[in-house]
Amino acid sequence: MDTWKEFEQNIITHSAAHHLMAIDDLVNKLGYARVSDVARRLNITRGSVSISLKPMKEAGLILQDENRHLRLSEKGQRLVDGVKSKRVLIRRLLSELLGLDEQQAEIDACKMEHLISNETAQRLVAFFRFIDSAQHPAHDFLSAWRGQHRPPEVCSTGGDQRSAEDKAES
Amino acid sequence: MSKLSTAEIVQELNHAFAEEVEAATRYLHLRSAVRGLDRVVVEHVLKDAFHETIEHAENIAQRIRSLGHVPKLEICVSCPNEPLSGREALRQALIFEEAALECYQDLLKKVEGDVPLEEFVRAQVALEYQHVAQLKELLAE
Repeated sequence: MDTWKEFEQNIITHSAAHHLMAIDDLVNKLGYARVSDVARRLNITRGSVSISLKPMKEAGLILQDENRHLRLSEKGQRLVDGVKSKRVLIRRLLSELLGLDEQQAEIDACKMEHLISNETAQRLVAFFRFIDSAQHPAHDFLSAWRGQHRPPEVCSTGGDQRSAEDKAES
Repeated sequence: MSKLSTAEIVQELNHAFAEEVEAATRYLHLRSAVRGLDRVVVEHVLKDAFHETIEHAENIAQRIRSLGHVPKLEICVSCPNEPLSGREALRQALIFEEAALECYQDLLKKVEGDVPLEEFVRAQVALEYQHVAQLKELLAE
């Protein structure tokens, strides 16, 4: 399959990932999540949330009880945990290794978190294990990389350096 | 008097305004997405609902203006280019109408004591309730 088509075959969309993570965060914080809470969290209408949740309920990712409280199914929870782990890995790759500032790394990690495969995530985990190990090759690799690829100095104007596009997506 | 400040009331009304405008947009799309003979059956239902929803949005905008504010509209709608059966279109309409009903029911609790606003929201609850009931009736087997 062409890679660009694979992009559309993803199990969950960016929007769906955010809905699932919002439910997870709300349940962890409040003990429950209603459509109105998810709408407030994502700053969208309840109608939008309800429409978006329908296919996720049908896919067995979300359950709703008689009080209309939402929670993630086991399958949904696994998906959210996976997406969150991928976000951490990508953020670390971008900020710690590639030298992007934390804010930009967070924004880009958010864009990619639900798109990378589990295989890629596992390779990243293995890579970080290598980097974190006390082995000489890992230390040499990091030193060589950082020596040659210092992050560009950002002129501080006191303002937000992110582009309008990034701000809109964050 | 209401437990909310004017600014908080306006914020709540802006949410309701967004629900209505977004619902109207969805009705407009649903009308275009229904294919086959079903069009004959549901087109007028969706068309009437579109006009009523626009009217609701206008009422809310008027209420916000009467409080000395300008309505703020924040919506994010994405409607897929897939053909729908009449039943599926009505099912989707029921989903966002129920969401609008809940929005007004919650708002009603918040504006308790502000008689004119309470009456306005109560009337909206009644209208939305009617919409939901009508859709449920059409969807009944």
